[in-house]
Amino acid sequence: MSQQALVAAAAGDDPADGLRAVRALRELADRLEALQVERARRLGWSWQDIAGALGVSRQAVHKKHNRRI
Amino acid sequence: MFETFTKDARSAVVDAQLVARAAHSDQIDTRHLLVALAECDGPARTAMTDGGVDVAELVARTRTNIEAGDALDPAALAAVGIDLDEVTRRTEETFGAGALTRAGRILRGRRKHIPFTADAKKSLELALREAIRLGSKEIHGGHLLLGLTRAESPARRILSDAGADVERVRHLAEGGSAAA
Repeated sequence: MSQQALVAAAAGDDPADGLRAVRALRELADRLEALQVERARRLGWSWQDIAGALGVSRQAVHKKHNRRI
Repeated sequence: MFETFTKDARSAVVDAQLVARAAHSDQIDTRHLLVALAECDGPARTAMTDGGVDVAELVARTRTNIEAGDALDPAALAAVGIDLDEVTRRTEETFGAGALTRAGRILRGRRKHIPFTADAKKSLELALREAIRLGSKEIHGGHLLLGLTRAESPARRILSDAGADVERVRHLAEGGSAAA
């Protein structure tokens, strides 16, 4: 599919294409979040600081990342 | 039910997890099981080979098909104006080579257990029924293959897209002769 056709698909009418794009964006955001949180912790950021930057509660960010980092 | 699995059937179920992990899959579906069966020595692979399936090609094709379903889908991102290559390049400047792939592993890799789709679970139940129907006390890889292909499923579709005569492969998996 050409770039133009893809852009048309995303902005267009087929929910399957639109939802696929949303899923990919969420996955990308999750991966970037994992990398950024890992690095912030290594640089000495507190869970509170990270939570503030992400706009979520400290509990939420701690629960999501503490075990895997 | 797991106790009655033969060694090859057990490894297929375990290896399906490895296939899923390698492809960063969220779930294990019938395609992961098919790859695991095709890669492991046993009645399932024999049935496929005797049925004229190029097993190496089938494995490569199925893995590609599974990876195309990776959630970090470049085409889908391009559709909303995001160039994944560029994101990857910038991410690697800060986080090092392969950072996004590593992040996928951070998200999933340590998860001990990747869940089976309903479809894949159903195929294991069907394998049990196939074994009973064929009067076998054990469930071997051939029965798993029968379970995977008994109804319409991603695995069955991939087999037939690879040019396999699915009914013939099923016949061979039932222990039928190659001449039939």
